[in-house]
Amino acid sequence: MRKILLIIFLVQLTIFPQSTSFDFHSPQKIKLFADYLFCEKDYLRAIEEYEMIRNQFVIDTIEFKVMLGYSNLGLSKNSNKIFSDFNIESKLYPDAYLVSMKNELLIDSKPLHYSEFSSFTSSQFESYVRLLNISALYGDEQSITKNNFLTLYSKEDQNTLSKLYDYKFDPPYKSPAWAGIFSAIIPGSGKMYVGEWGDGITGFLLTGLFAFLAYDNFKADHDTRAWIFTGIGAFFYAGNIYGSISAAQIFNAKINFEFSNGLKLFLENKNYFIPDYDFCK
Amino acid sequence: MRSKHHIFFITLLLTTSAFCQIENLKWQKADLSYEKPNKFRERTYSFKSDNAGELLKKSFVNTYWFFISDVDGDNCAFRPSCSSFFIDATEETNIFQATLMFSDRLVRDTNPIKINNYPRDKSNHYYDPANNYTLNSEEINYLPPTFIVDDE
Repeated sequence: MRKILLIIFLVQLTIFPQSTSFDFHSPQKIKLFADYLFCEKDYLRAIEEYEMIRNQFVIDTIEFKVMLGYSNLGLSKNSNKIFSDFNIESKLYPDAYLVSMKNELLIDSKPLHYSEFSSFTSSQFESYVRLLNISALYGDEQSITKNNFLTLYSKEDQNTLSKLYDYKFDPPYKSPAWAGIFSAIIPGSGKMYVGEWGDGITGFLLTGLFAFLAYDNFKADHDTRAWIFTGIGAFFYAGNIYGSISAAQIFNAKINFEFSNGLKLFLENKNYFIPDYDFCK
Repeated sequence: MRSKHHIFFITLLLTTSAFCQIENLKWQKADLSYEKPNKFRERTYSFKSDNAGELLKKSFVNTYWFFISDVDGDNCAFRPSCSSFFIDATEETNIFQATLMFSDRLVRDTNPIKINNYPRDKSNHYYDPANNYTLNSEEINYLPPTFIVDDE
């Protein structure tokens, strides 16, 4: 009896996987799996699954999820490509519009010229204005005062954006000319002026050391040695002036980098431009 | 019955050992080297040059290599190393400006507190290319200290 049961059990085990009644690759099953992956934030694999069924289901939710997935992966161009074919009649179009605005900012880093969409809800309109505001930071003209700029954002974001606003319109640049002049007067002081204290002190000590050795040897009538130390001292003195100028330029490049990178990170990390959806609830 | 079992096991063992032999190529000794590639020693101490400026540069670099760099060993904290920085600087600017850049690099190299100022390359040296110091702000490629540079 036992043997018979075991055989029946084994036979069933081998037959079921072969059965065609379970179609694991039906479009519905693929969609379910893709939805699961999307909610798990595994966007790359979710998009792969959605792409397999996009021709079979013309559903704006799938289009939107693919667009959002690409955007969250940082593939802004791919995301906007989906938007170019997005159905304008869809309920999700205003949200897709906001996502495309964010993508555009990340692609071009230029002020946006998106007009207001007629069917925006109040929260969508708020996001639209916030995005337009942020895009103003990419322009050259100070079109909005700092207080007006910051009022639209939460307190936490205001700290980040206030710094970015200052970096853009009142950057704390250091003057390369002043750095050079400072180092010409006191070796190393130009480097200290741009915040390179270690390099500044080292430059001062090296130049000072060789200047002293030159002076001391001249005083002791060791002219040859004195001239060698004078040469080395002059080498470090001139190099320090040059280095202070280039350090100021690098400092300014750092400010520019911190502005552009900070703004990019802010845009990538802040998802409140796009409202919450009940896809995964 | 017993002999049948024996034949079966012998055949099994023979096949196992015979198939294992096929894999012998897989287990041959491999020519592996775990040494880190050292580009530091790839130097040509030649004075061959096309013009006076080139000869001056070669003389300076060879002197630096012979009297300082070779004696000190591969201890420059930076990549490119100070002498390579000077060569790069002469290629990007002129001998006079390159000398000033080299002098500034020596000061920065002497500074013992340079942690967190430069990005690093994969061999954990500070990455500090000459193009950042040519005084042409367009050429500056600022990288944050947290950045790891892949300069292979």
